[in-house]
Amino acid sequence: MINFRFDGKVYTAQAGDTLAAALLRNGIGLVGRSFKYHRPRGIMTAGIEEPNALVTVGEGGRAEPNTRATDVFVYEGLVAKSQNRWPNLSFDVGAALGLAAPALSAGFYYKTFFGSAKKWMFYEYFIRKAAGLGNAPTLTDPDRFSQRAAFCDVLVVGAGPAGMQAALDAAEGGKRVILVEQDHILAPSLLRDSQEQDAAWANATAARIRAAGGIILTRTTASGYWEHDLVTLTQRISEPGQVPTHDVAQRLWHVRAGQVILATGSIERPMAFAHNDRPGVMLSQAVRTYVRRFGVVPGKRVVIATNNDDAYKSAEALKDAGAQIAAILDARPAPAGANSGHRVYNNAVPLSTQGARHCLKSVQALVDGKTMDWDADLLAVSGGFTPVVHLHMQAGGTLDWNEDAQAFIPVSSRQNVTTIGGAAEPQAIFKMVPVSSPKKSFIDFQNDVTLADVDLAWAEGYRSVEHLKRYTTLGMATDQGKLSNMAALGRLAQKQGVAIPEAGLTTFRPPYTPVTMGLIAGAGAKDAGAHIRRLALYELHAAKNPIWQPLGYWFRPRAYPISGESLAQAALREAKAVRNNVGMTDVSTLAKFEVSGPDAAAFLDIICATTISKLAVGRGRYTFMLREDGIVFDDGTVWRLDENRYLLTSSTGGADRMATHISYVRQFLCPHLRVSAVNVQEHYAGIAIAGPQAKAVLTALIGAEPPRHMSTVPAAIAGVPVIILAASYSGERAFEIYVDASQAEAVWVACESEVFAQGGTLYGLEAMEFLRIEKGHLVVGGEVDGRMTPHDLALDKMLNKAGGYIGASGLSRPALSETGRRQLVGLEAIAGDIPEGAMLIPSEGASPQGHVSAAAFRIVTGGSVALGQLTEGFSRHGEILIASSPTRGQQARVRVVAPHFYDAAGERYRD
Amino acid sequence: MMRIPCPHCGPRTQSEFIYERTLDSVVPLNAPTEEAMAKLFTRNNPRGVDDEIWRHTYGCRAWMVLTRHRVTNEISGCRAIGPEALS
Amino acid sequence: MTELTISTLPAAPLHVFEIWSNPATVAKRFEATCGFALPHMGRSDGSDALRLIRFEPTVWLVEGDASALSAILSDDGAVTAIGGGIVRIRLSGKGWRTLLMEGGVFDAESPTFAAGCSAATIIDHVNVRLHVVDETTCVAFVPLSFSQGLLHFWEQAAGSLVE
Repeated sequence: MINFRFDGKVYTAQAGDTLAAALLRNGIGLVGRSFKYHRPRGIMTAGIEEPNALVTVGEGGRAEPNTRATDVFVYEGLVAKSQNRWPNLSFDVGAALGLAAPALSAGFYYKTFFGSAKKWMFYEYFIRKAAGLGNAPTLTDPDRFSQRAAFCDVLVVGAGPAGMQAALDAAEGGKRVILVEQDHILAPSLLRDSQEQDAAWANATAARIRAAGGIILTRTTASGYWEHDLVTLTQRISEPGQVPTHDVAQRLWHVRAGQVILATGSIERPMAFAHNDRPGVMLSQAVRTYVRRFGVVPGKRVVIATNNDDAYKSAEALKDAGAQIAAILDARPAPAGANSGHRVYNNAVPLSTQGARHCLKSVQALVDGKTMDWDADLLAVSGGFTPVVHLHMQAGGTLDWNEDAQAFIPVSSRQNVTTIGGAAEPQAIFKMVPVSSPKKSFIDFQNDVTLADVDLAWAEGYRSVEHLKRYTTLGMATDQGKLSNMAALGRLAQKQGVAIPEAGLTTFRPPYTPVTMGLIAGAGAKDAGAHIRRLALYELHAAKNPIWQPLGYWFRPRAYPISGESLAQAALREAKAVRNNVGMTDVSTLAKFEVSGPDAAAFLDIICATTISKLAVGRGRYTFMLREDGIVFDDGTVWRLDENRYLLTSSTGGADRMATHISYVRQFLCPHLRVSAVNVQEHYAGIAIAGPQAKAVLTALIGAEPPRHMSTVPAAIAGVPVIILAASYSGERAFEIYVDASQAEAVWVACESEVFAQGGTLYGLEAMEFLRIEKGHLVVGGEVDGRMTPHDLALDKMLNKAGGYIGASGLSRPALSETGRRQLVGLEAIAGDIPEGAMLIPSEGASPQGHVSAAAFRIVTGGSVALGQLTEGFSRHGEILIASSPTRGQQARVRVVAPHFYDAAGERYRD
Repeated sequence: MMRIPCPHCGPRTQSEFIYERTLDSVVPLNAPTEEAMAKLFTRNNPRGVDDEIWRHTYGCRAWMVLTRHRVTNEISGCRAIGPEALS
Repeated sequence: MTELTISTLPAAPLHVFEIWSNPATVAKRFEATCGFALPHMGRSDGSDALRLIRFEPTVWLVEGDASALSAILSDDGAVTAIGGGIVRIRLSGKGWRTLLMEGGVFDAESPTFAAGCSAATIIDHVNVRLHVVDETTCVAFVPLSFSQGLLHFWEQAAGSLVE
């Protein structure tokens, strides 16, 4: 015995019960309220197609709304709540108020939207309160979700007798096999209907499949079929709301299969007649499943309505279980069902039902043109069978119309997929046309769409099945039209006066059954969604408790505040230390490439737009790179370390892009060159030391005269080999020290101790930004924004006169030399602080002529300065403009100046 | 998610690869400006088979030309690109 | 829980050995000097003193003493140090294949991915290079910046590997 709670009350279930079976076992017929009209609804099916019995299972962060009671297996302590009712399931205000059918007919939302806004707002209040399904949990889901890849020769979807046999044959034929079943047992249909095989056969077959190396996954749904035979499986490791044994609640499998066999079976169809949505109306096979598999008899006096032979098996099951079969209404003419031993009415179709809120009381049918009534507490219906072709169709398959079964069956696909079993050969049925009043004849139970809604859509001119779907919302609920689509198509075809296949089909989209968002996020659901890239010296920085700054996937220290400093205060102190004394910072994230070989210089002359080949050994140079269309896309420095060995640095943010670009050019455009370009971004950690005392620090560290500006030497610090580059981003005399990242810690510690001994400090990205803006150095992603030419950035004098670099021909496009282009300028504030991102306007209300790309302060003397782009900016120095940021509500009056606010002559970084 | 037959690694999942451009938009190093710009800015974009450049960036890092049907994703060929292919 | 130990190996010199011309001649010189042939694509060869693992058509990853390799290459290729940027993570125990399927896209469970095999792939968004040492040991070469994140991912995933 298992205890569970439903709407606060404790009940008991049997082992193996679905929640639906357990509710029926406890005599609970009313399980939910319908989406639009709040009509009382019961359990209609025994499978994943259940449209009515949607409940919220679990509590807190584990609560899973809209769980089908037929698709959750009861465990000790399960807590379920009914949905879409207020104040309670039995008495619902929405239903009582009659937020009624006429108000919410097909296209209600569209019509109301097009009506007056007042009218919409009036309705909205009620709709928001009343409509909708379960509520999303507000707490974080404590469980983890796994994503796992799998590869196999044969993937079999559906462990019915056909699927199991196919899996067995493949596994014993030496294939890698995966067999998936959405139920928690294999071949569940064998418990419903005794066939040639039985449950013992299923167990033995499963054992043989496993012995042959096959993998069997139960509680696993093949929910999507993608390109090249990739199938995604959603596996429930724990039941909804249940605490998982090993933290992981569900697993998303990405299965890449050589071949896919679909043994997905079929779904029984309901029939369309008035009040066919009442609790007590159930699909025939579902009735049989409850009786035979779960030992629950959902009615004592039963009417069965059918258009096929299968429903007679339900009559047998019910009779064996002691229920009384009041009548079998067979739509087929005599002698169908003649020898069944039951009271069979031929040419009989249901018209309506009567009952109370919780139960069915009687059934009315049209028999040979005459109306008849039966008292009954259960109506089992079978309107035929719809093959489950979803995966086949997602795989790009085509369908054929099978007239005998009145069903679409799978034909071919461009992928390696075949359908076997019931999904390929549905049972023959008798074609029925609904005769009942269409008004309460529901076809989409979950979205409350009736035949009348289809008729209305037709009357209003909706002809295409896709339009019909969107106008009526038919098939758009969580069940995705599994029960409703064929009924709607039949009605549409009838209206159009064509055969069903000509009415068209809506698209089958993944997922087959709803998938929780956590599963799609996977491990990322618990983190930021992606890994953080850590600096090699992360621990050293973290010990100083800096303010961290995300930069792409990297996290870098933005500032190192001391004694309660704000970010701005800390950054200004750090920047001042660099201007007045010395500072050090971690520049490890810069892109770095080691380029070697006899043709290394020739290769760099292609990549870089400046001349590299004339660089002497031990010297370095600023450089920039162009896209093929002539636009600047990155910049950095290049250093000749040795005769045939160069180090190229470029921006952090562009590192991956540059790696791809270098590889493309090398492999695609000049495969003949004898050159190797290796990405050493992470191999070398980088430390920058900058300031008037930087040279003294370096001299102490390496025990020798450090290199001149734009020169490089190999050296050792703390016994560790390093490369020292004399380069300056800050505008001060500065050095970059590159060291094998695995040995960087000792070097950092030695540098830090020397810098501190000089009274210097660490500085972060914010101070670095202040320094470079004041100096007028560019940043990729700021001033270099993918629109600027070398000329626009005043870099054109550095271009390689000989050409031959990537972008040289693009640069010759006439439009790039026309007047009116945006050009790099400096801006200094006359009044106010310049807001970053502000537009530059000549006067209030005028059109923008440019923008502020980066704003900072004069570090030592104070005053707001900025870099920006301005139309024809080179010739506008001295002009007064307004830097206006309406989004920040800030503006400043600025003067256009040259983009160098500090040491324009570049004297400070020379000895 | 496609499966791409890498000439060096065999069939691998698309997420290991990065798409570069179509083969006909490769601009040779010494192409005259007009030809270069035509290749860059005038694209065929056929509804059907095209030759595309992909890189097995998160695998063997090699470049390749993939012949792919853009509607059905059917891949009818894949050849290696780069310096002398080593066996 | 499936038997599995995840450990970070100490930092060691790693190099890339790239050939751009005359591959056949270089291969001969290599074998004559080192005593084993340059491994084919997706394979490794050598010993702890010097091991070459091939992940790329023209590039080999070198573990161990690379000092003799520049002379072998001469002007037909280059050796470049990359060890600082790579963390070697050893996965030992039978469960390593299953672990690599978590967040993966590569068939590490294939019986053909056996001792001496190598493959580069992407696992939980991180570019990882794998080398099968033996049936119960696989070494992953992980970019330094992602190594802590991937270690965390693997440690979590290993806790729920239930067969």
